[in-house]
Amino acid sequence: VNKSNTEVRSFLFGMFAVSATLFIVFAFSYGKKTPIAIVTLFSMSSSLLTGAPAYQSLGGGFSANIIISLWAMVLSTIGGFLLGGGLLSKNDLVRKLCRLLMNFLRNSPWLVILYAMLYLIPFEIVVFKKFFELSPAIKAVIGLSLPISANIAEVFRAGIDSIQKGQWDATTSLGYTRKQALYGIILPQALPLMIPGIMTVYASLFIGTSLVVITGTNDVLSVAKVIIASGADDYATAIYIFVLFLFFAYAFPIAMTSRWLERRVRSNR
Amino acid sequence: VAAVSLDFSWIVEPVYLHWLMQGTVTTLSLSAFGLFLTLLIGITGAICLHFKIPVLTTAVTVLVELARNTPSLVQLFFLYFILSETGFHFTDVKTGRDIPIFSGFMCCVLMLGFYNGAIAVDIIRSGLLAVPRETVEATKSLGYTRWQTFIYVELPISLRLTIPLMANNIVMLIKTSSQAALVAVADLMYSATQIVMENFKSFEVMVVVWAMYITIVSGVVGIIGEIEKFVKMPGYNA
Repeated sequence: VNKSNTEVRSFLFGMFAVSATLFIVFAFSYGKKTPIAIVTLFSMSSSLLTGAPAYQSLGGGFSANIIISLWAMVLSTIGGFLLGGGLLSKNDLVRKLCRLLMNFLRNSPWLVILYAMLYLIPFEIVVFKKFFELSPAIKAVIGLSLPISANIAEVFRAGIDSIQKGQWDATTSLGYTRKQALYGIILPQALPLMIPGIMTVYASLFIGTSLVVITGTNDVLSVAKVIIASGADDYATAIYIFVLFLFFAYAFPIAMTSRWLERRVRSNR
Repeated sequence: VAAVSLDFSWIVEPVYLHWLMQGTVTTLSLSAFGLFLTLLIGITGAICLHFKIPVLTTAVTVLVELARNTPSLVQLFFLYFILSETGFHFTDVKTGRDIPIFSGFMCCVLMLGFYNGAIAVDIIRSGLLAVPRETVEATKSLGYTRWQTFIYVELPISLRLTIPLMANNIVMLIKTSSQAALVAVADLMYSATQIVMENFKSFEVMVVVWAMYITIVSGVVGIIGEIEKFVKMPGYNA
């Protein structure tokens, strides 16, 4: 009880202290104009949060970042587990190819992958004689999922590796096939160990959605840039501080939860 | 289905080659300055936390959380906007031109130092915690002061133990440096977008730049691996 109390306290402290720091920077850069800047920022907050001027609809601004990150989460988890499974394959060729792919994706800048996907993926595809438009948001999801999948595959591999080798030997002696052993014995033990690592990857994915500004989606940075370019020059500092705060308010709880889970997993072993 | 044909003939053109080379040099120097600042901030921050210096401990904790939980790109835009507003500049003696101190390049180095430095603080501190207590006690019995223990024993051991983590951080730093292109610093990524604007071979150019980044990163990883082997402490399995 005592320990979880200190954890809650350090979370609340982080939330409060970082917000306060951002506010101090805000007040420092606007001085006496701080109240005006706050009112102006408040009038822009709907556009920045939802992309719509008066909260009529979702899908733009910061909500676009959240939606993109959720889709990329789903896609990269599937991709990461497939790639991670490939890393464990008995087939030498499959294993080596998967490792090559993983290292390749992990060493590439996300920005370069995003640009490449932007150019590689066509504007529309034809499935059963029907045209499907591939919006920038879909390209952004795919572009983000690729490097994230590699990170998840790495966590997956590390999780499986942390299970004692004796467990594998035991399943062999009991006549399990490799697949049965993986699904029935190894994965159920390894999954809880992977969760903190996967959540850390998710937090970095969420932070990484800021990069989709280059794909031309209606994300929070694009909206911010449009607002600044259309005459709100004086309030650029305020807008960027607000955007920093938005990302922090979303990513920090995820990061703290993953740290908390990691400590729990460790103390349970 | 149209056959995919890739055309790489543009790469031999001197102009493009020159841009790619220049971009590579800028990317490397961005990373080098960024790395220097990262290590400086990492070690300074870790010292504040390790010695539990009042006020500074809180400040470092808050700044680390801020840096790690917000996008580096927004940090870069923020720095670029605020610092270029301040208008600090110096006059070049030779040409008599005004050069702003906080150029895009400078802002990007600061961003890399802030973002990756925050990660370095955590890494170095985890290394400090991994130094065995017996080793620290041994220095005490030899009459080292607390500072001497830190400088001659704890910090060097911590830096050596955390080389793999720091390698990840440096790889991330090089990858993050590509965001400099978005504030018009002429790095590798920027030269790529420039070439695309001229020859419209968008995918081919990206493939080339992608390969160049991979080469740079792999090279750096190789160098760090050698350093790790060189400074390995024989018989030390903490």
